[in-house]
Order: sequence, then structure tokens, then C-alpha cells
Amino acid sequence: MSLLSGYSQYAVELKDVTKRYNEIVAVNNLNLTLSTGEIFGLLGPNGSGKSTTLKMLMGLVTPDKGSVNVLGLDVLKQPVEVKSLVGYVPESANIYEFLTGIEYLDFIADVYGVPTSEKKQRITEYLKALQLEGREGDMINSYSDGMKKKISLISAFLHKPKLLILDEPLNALDPRSARIVKDFLHELKSQGVTTIMSTHVLEIAEAICDRIGIMYQGQLLALGNMDDLRKTARMPSSGLEDVFLKLTGTEDLRAVVEELMK
Amino acid sequence: MNWKNVLYLLRVERKSGRLIRGIKATRYKENSFLAYWPYWAAAIIGVLGGLFAEYLVSLVYSEGGTAGLQPLNVEAFAFFSVLPTLVLGVSIVFTLFQQIQLAGKASAQVMYWLPITWQEHTLASILANLLGLPAAIVVGLSSGLIVFSAFNGLILQALLTIFILFAAAFFASSITEILRVLQVRFTGAVYKSSGRAAIWLRLIGSLLVLIVFYIIYFYVVSGTNTFITNLTAAQNGAWYVPFVWPALIISYIVKGLFLQSLLFLTLSVLLIAGLYYLAVELNKRLGLYEPPAITLQKSGVYAPKNGILGKLGFSSVEAALIRKDLRAFTRRRELLGVYFMPIIIVIISIFYSFGITNGGASNFSIWSGVIFLVPASGMAMLLGQILIGEEGQAVWRIYASPISPKNLVKSKFFLIMIFAVIILAVTGFIGIIVFHPSLRKAGIAMIEAFFMALAVASVSLQVGFKGPDFSGTRRQRMVRQEWSLIGSVVGVITGAAVFAPVLVQYAFGLYSGISVSTLNYTIGVAISAAISTSISAVFYKINIGAAQDLLRKAQV
Repeated sequence: MSLLSGYSQYAVELKDVTKRYNEIVAVNNLNLTLSTGEIFGLLGPNGSGKSTTLKMLMGLVTPDKGSVNVLGLDVLKQPVEVKSLVGYVPESANIYEFLTGIEYLDFIADVYGVPTSEKKQRITEYLKALQLEGREGDMINSYSDGMKKKISLISAFLHKPKLLILDEPLNALDPRSARIVKDFLHELKSQGVTTIMSTHVLEIAEAICDRIGIMYQGQLLALGNMDDLRKTARMPSSGLEDVFLKLTGTEDLRAVVEELMK
Repeated sequence: MNWKNVLYLLRVERKSGRLIRGIKATRYKENSFLAYWPYWAAAIIGVLGGLFAEYLVSLVYSEGGTAGLQPLNVEAFAFFSVLPTLVLGVSIVFTLFQQIQLAGKASAQVMYWLPITWQEHTLASILANLLGLPAAIVVGLSSGLIVFSAFNGLILQALLTIFILFAAAFFASSITEILRVLQVRFTGAVYKSSGRAAIWLRLIGSLLVLIVFYIIYFYVVSGTNTFITNLTAAQNGAWYVPFVWPALIISYIVKGLFLQSLLFLTLSVLLIAGLYYLAVELNKRLGLYEPPAITLQKSGVYAPKNGILGKLGFSSVEAALIRKDLRAFTRRRELLGVYFMPIIIVIISIFYSFGITNGGASNFSIWSGVIFLVPASGMAMLLGQILIGEEGQAVWRIYASPISPKNLVKSKFFLIMIFAVIILAVTGFIGIIVFHPSLRKAGIAMIEAFFMALAVASVSLQVGFKGPDFSGTRRQRMVRQEWSLIGSVVGVITGAAVFAPVLVQYAFGLYSGISVSTLNYTIGVAISAAISTSISAVFYKINIGAAQDLLRKAQV
């Protein structure tokens, strides 16, 4: 039986999902579906529940209520199967710093069962694309944040996942690498790979995401493409930044700045 | 010097040392009583020790058995005079161990951006060293001294001794700070450039310190009849060694030589001030060493390996995990502690075999058994307890990867056994060279040691699954303290249970008058093997359940 035998029309399906940390409601009754091949951007202020949502998709956080399905599989019931189909980049790159870059990628390739015959080619290509060639033999603890992020991204792409879950994937990347990753995500989309990413860089979300969800205090305030968001915010000719600030109730920035200047 | 800055830094340093926090915790509140438990425990032990000492002394002095003894106040004060040297030695060894553990974690280089002077930073760092185990030792000894002195009218002498004990602890902490700075600069440079060289450098350096202290300890303790007399004589004879200066202050007061006492008091104060100044200067010059961000390319062509593990039947996931952990144990400084136990056992055994001590034939016999039986299962116990928690903050990688519970248990268990078998081979070889047992005895001991390690590894891995500590605090503990304690007790019981059949057979032979050297231990060894494999089989299943639980409840 194929792993994807129960494959539904949605790549990601969150139903009535709630997650609490003591009295804090991190995610509140969230409903969200993503179609196959979609690039979805999750926006929201700090602490709005984006990272928790992404972690629940990976099974790294267990929801208190609701169900989480990824690629037709229940994350809680079939965690290993889900993980083998997903590439994940966490917000902070806590990776094995005592390994060299190449050893880490080798480890990842083995864990995801990348055939030995393909490992070398794939790893070499990614290292070259993200300009890590020449540094792969150094220990990760000597890498900059950007280099660690690149290693994390490569480790998410290496096994050709069906779904990418990326938490702030372009943070700390140099412009060239950021551009490569954006273009690469578009290429993967054409191959049917779904991407869900959180970001604070609104230009990136506007440029590459098919749909955007804006989270605030654990709830999805708005969902849709740019036109949908503008309608929701009743700002027909505004950019994403203005829409975002209005929807999250932080549009009155001038008053804040003036207060600080006193 | 801004004393408030010193206090703030000190609070942070000490709290980071105490903090044991699971990654699940979203809030943290420290219990002020429990936070300082080492001091409370030391004080209670000290008070009990003081009462016991008073009881013993009153027995000796009341029964007229004082021939050869001087009056109580002279004898007691002479004893006080050796304490500073002991505190100094023990404090240096333990704070150095602590530094080895802390060295694995990146420290917050607050000096870069906060308005703190090097003097304040250095003083806070020295005091943080002092307020660890050295302070607990001083508190324990001080409590005992106060209690004992209260009964014997020696309060003034006790207070003077306590003051000098703190000075000795500060002295030791300053030395540790100096060594720390040197390590940061030089091993840091080696570490960044060549990976594991610095780790081995640190291990060898620490072992040298350990060996030196053991030699001194055995020489002083076993070379003479009376420990106190000998240490007092030793420190009086070695007056030119700064380590004994604090103790000589008291030693000369005992003899009524106040001028000499004042001289050594002055020398001690100058020395401590000098060490502090040196630590500040070293911190200024070397404390913020940052290796260059760009290094020369040294990598060759990447060649993926299949490896021998695949041929042994491990899946690619399991082989990858084993390779990753093998690298961790040769590169991560905080994991080096696991090598100390077998090395110490070997050192002590060798000392006994060379007749450095007067332990006699019984000690020789005990150590000849210990060197075969203990290191492998001891290593299995330590590794089993920490192998899950050592994943640390990077444990999300395990949670987020398609790793099954069986993969996790198999790889971790195999790694423990690799290390246990290597240690068994090495210590067994040394044991044969040093103690010259018959081939039969050595064979039985090594087979028993293997089965003990097998069972202990299985049980200890369960402890590792139950009580992992993934916290990213400065001092990574890897296993929660309560589980470490439980694991140690259970590990010892398991090892004893496996060894029991052979021990019973040996005891039976002794009891029934049969020559134990001609006993056929086949039955005993077979029963040991059966017990060990049964425990391993049962715990393999239990461990898979625990791994399933860990992965299922994965919370990052």
C-alpha cells in the first residue's frame, strides 16, 4: 500500500485546532487547508501562533483539540510516515554543531533514506547553489547564522519532500541565496510540492505566496490572495504592509513613535 | 569597581549553573530553599561531623588514653591548620572539572556590549567559581568547626580558620579563572582550527592534574602513620610552595610564632591580589578571543560512505545515528566526562599494583577484580543515562526526522555496547599486564564484565529515556539529577544481580573448603549470561515503548 494511498485533495488540513500553553492560547480553533502545489505564507506579529502552527504540522507540538492531517496522513497516528514526506526548517537552527556541514548533510540523507548513488550529486549541487562550497568540511560551530540557515534549508530539500514547512526560511540569508531559494520554491511548486512558510518579510510573502494567512492572537484574521486580503481590510489599493498593519490593529504607528520621542 | 555590576553578573553566573530546565517549561520559578541545597546539606553534614568529632574526642580524652597526645586545644588547632591546604586542593580539582563541563557551551559574551569593566567581570567569574562546590565544602567544614569549637572553647581559632578557608577557596577559584582564560584562548584556537585536538588536549591536561593530585594524596596519606602529622610536616617543609601559605598562617600560630604567621598572611594576601590582577590582565588580553570567521578551504571531494554498519545489518537511519553519536563522543567537550571513570579506575589500580599505598593484599585483590568488572558496566551506565539527553536542543532533529522508536533504541544501545566493549578490552588488557591473573580468571572476569555491561546498558538506557534533560543552559546535564541517582542505584543492583551467581559459587567454594582456584565456574557464568540476556531482552521491549513515548510526546 502506498504511503499516499489516503491522499486527500488537500496537502495540509487543520480542523478546529487549538493549542494552549497553560493559560496562554497559542492557537485558537484554527481551520486551514492547503492545496497541493500551493505556496502559502503565514504572517502575524510575534507570538501570534505561527511557529506553533507549523510545529503542529510536524508533530513537534501536540494540539489540545482538533485534527492535523498532512498529505492525507494523520500527523499523530503516522508520525514517521509524515516526517519522511516533509522537509522542515525551524526558526532557530539548532543543529549538531560538532559535525561538519558535509557530515550533517550526510546524516540527514541517511536518515531520510536518500540512495547513496544520489547523495553526492544532490549535496554537491545544493552546496554549490547556496555558495557553501569550500566550507562544507568545517565544523558547523564555526558557521555564521546565514550559513547555518543554508545548511538547514539544504537538509529540508535533500530528500525531495512533498511538503515544505519553513519557519522564517529567508532570515539571515544573503540576497543572492534568498533569491535562489525563492526561485527554487517556485520550481518545486511546478513539480507539485506544497510549501507553507512563516515570514515577517511582507515583500517576500507578497511576491511568492499564492495565498496568505494573517494570524493574530492564535486566530486566522484573514485568508486569501492579495485581492482577498485587500477586500477584508477594505483597502482596495494598498500593499500588504498596510493591509497587515490594519488587520493586526497596529496601523497607528505614528502615535507610538511620537510617544517614544517625548 | 561597581559592586552592583559584580553582584548582577554573579547572580546570572550562579543561576545558570544551577538551572536545570526542561525545554517544555514555559515559565521558571526557582525555589530559594532548594536552589541552595548544597550549602544546607553541607551545613547539616558539618554540624553532624562536628558533633561526632566532639564525641570521639571526649571519649579519647576522658578515658586517659591520651599518651602521646598533646592537650586538646593544641591537637585540634593543629588539625585546623591542614584544612586550608585540603580545601585549596579539592577546590582546584572540582572547579577545573566544572570548567571542563561548562566549556562545551557557548558563553554569553556580555563584555561586548555592556558597560562592565574587566575587573568586575573577572571578580564575578572568580566568585561564581567559589560559590559552587568550594563554598559548600567551606560551609560544611565551618559548621563542623563551630560546633566542635563551641564545646572546647576554640571559637576564636575556629573563626580564624574559617576566614582562611574562604581565602583558600578564593585562591583556588582565581587559579581556575586563570586556567579558564588560557583554555578559552589556546584550546579555542586549536578547537576551531582542527576540531577534536583541543578536546584531547583538555582531557590530557585534566588527567595530568588528576594524576598529580592522586600521587600527592597517596604519598601523603599512605606514606606515614598519622595523616595530620604528615600533612602538617609536609606543608611546613614546603613553605616555598604558595599553595600551603594560607595553611601556614594557622600552623605558625599553633607554634606561637606570630611573626612568621604575619609574614605568611601578608604573602597570602599579596598572592591572592596578584592572582586576581593576573586573571584581570589575562581576561583583558585573551578573554574575548574570537577565532577568524573565514578559514582556509581544507575539504576534499565529498565521497559518501556505505560503511561497515550497513553490513552489520543496521538500516541507514540507525547507521547515521550511530555515526553521529560516535563523532559527538570524540568532539564534544561536555561529553568527555564519561572517559574519566575508567581512567581513574585504571590509575588507582596501577598505583595499588606499584605498592604506592599500604592497602595490603586485600586491596590488591579488590582492585584486581574492579579493573576487570567495573569500567565496562560503569561506562554502560553513564552512557545509557546520557545518550538521549545529549541530543540537547538539537533533539528537534530527531523528532522531525522519520526515525522510528526501534531505530532510536537500536542505534543508542549499539553505541553503548561499542564503548563498553572497547573499554572492557582496554581495561582487561591493562588488568592482565598489571595484576597477572591466570588466563582462566581473566577470561571469566571479562565474560562476566561483558554480561554485566549488557544488562546495565539496557536498564540505564531506560533511565535515559525516562529522565532526559535537553535544556540548553550553560551546563548541559543530559539526565535529570533524580533520574541519574535512580539510574546509578538500579545500575549497581543490575550489575550485582548478573555477577551474583559467580560470586555465590565463589563464596560456596570458600565456605565448603573447596579450592576456589579449581572451581568450575561454567554454571555460574551460564546463569549470569541467562540473567543478563533476559534483562536485556525485557528492557529492549520496554525501551522501545519508552522511545515511542518520547517521540510521540515530542514537544519543541
